[in-house]
Amino acid sequence: MSPARVLAPAEMTARDLSRRRIALALLTALPLALYGAQAGHLRHAVVTGGVVMAFSVAGAAMFASFATRAVDQRLMLAGYRPYELLLGRLLLLEVLGVLVAALFSVVMVLGTGPSDTPALVGGVALVAFTSVPFGLALGALAPQELEGTLILIGVVGIQLTTESSQLVAKFLPFWGPQRLLTHSIDTTVAIGAAVPVDIAYALALLLVAVYAIGRRVPVISAPPVSR
Amino acid sequence: MSPGEAVAVVGENGSGKSTLLRICAGLIRPDQGRVSVNARVGYCPQEPGLIDLLTADEHLALFAPALGLSRERALHEGRRLLAELAFPVRDRSQARHLSGGARQKLNLALALIGDASLLLLDEPYQGFDHGAYVSFWEHVAGWKGDGLAVVIVTHLLTDTVFVDRVVELTASPERGAVVS
Repeated sequence: MSPARVLAPAEMTARDLSRRRIALALLTALPLALYGAQAGHLRHAVVTGGVVMAFSVAGAAMFASFATRAVDQRLMLAGYRPYELLLGRLLLLEVLGVLVAALFSVVMVLGTGPSDTPALVGGVALVAFTSVPFGLALGALAPQELEGTLILIGVVGIQLTTESSQLVAKFLPFWGPQRLLTHSIDTTVAIGAAVPVDIAYALALLLVAVYAIGRRVPVISAPPVSR
Repeated sequence: MSPGEAVAVVGENGSGKSTLLRICAGLIRPDQGRVSVNARVGYCPQEPGLIDLLTADEHLALFAPALGLSRERALHEGRRLLAELAFPVRDRSQARHLSGGARQKLNLALALIGDASLLLLDEPYQGFDHGAYVSFWEHVAGWKGDGLAVVIVTHLLTDTVFVDRVVELTASPERGAVVS
């Protein structure tokens, strides 16, 4: 695997996203608006702002994934492997996620004054980290953008409306960051295994995305077609 | 298929022309039978497989590493092909702003760059004007001369005079294919 086989998909994902400025601005404005609307309720505002940030990053990842659907099969026929395409997009989107997370962290640290600032920053960073494979998996699995968007809204919505101590919350992708964000305001809430669970969840989502993209655009290189 | 041979695949709607090409390209597994390909395949799908927000040059640059080409070589080769197909090479428009014919020319060029020795072209000239259509068949003659094998799905019976063999598929599989 040469660097060019990862960097070219990353570069083209960046170019594609840079031409969706309005969509990205709206995706970023929505969580900020929700955070601002709840600014009087410390705990809710931080958890809402942090978790809803998944809309921005996962949405960007999902749209980037849908944009290339028509061409992925040809790219793989030309010689790309599914993991090379996904790795290139993953790297670019994680960089984007870091930028968005930095913006949200600054806004929420200044706006809320958390008890545990590193926990808040860590929680926001974990949301960004997990959102990329989540968006890529949605982009690979959902039939169309509408279905993908509805699933994204549903998962983030359920995560928001449940407490991190509830059983159902632990099965959702943003439980780890939700726990960290809650802890940043109320330090009596234990962080526990939030970080390793979240990393494991993100890796599992990435494997799902690799499998789904490989399954959706199979290029047969073994018998019955021998080459 | 032999090197330097051109074959037209014709047949009614739904007879499986595109499916046959996709099987030959290795994109679909056949229910029965076997396809052996000992060549690098250049595949042009019926519907242009493009990324709407990228330009022609960006498409060429994206395909370059997969084909084992440097970006410079892919751009050079791709622009030359596009110019020969009368694509507006200086146009930096995103694919979504291109005309149907221009999109199809880019679609075709992406199948041609690299060192493909077998071209599988599924109605590759949809949307072409007459000049580009004539130019396309001149290119087919040139590719044959260079030793490339070319398979073209077509609806136009007039195209069959440009090829060495015609394979006609029927919508009723039990009738089989007719080779002439």
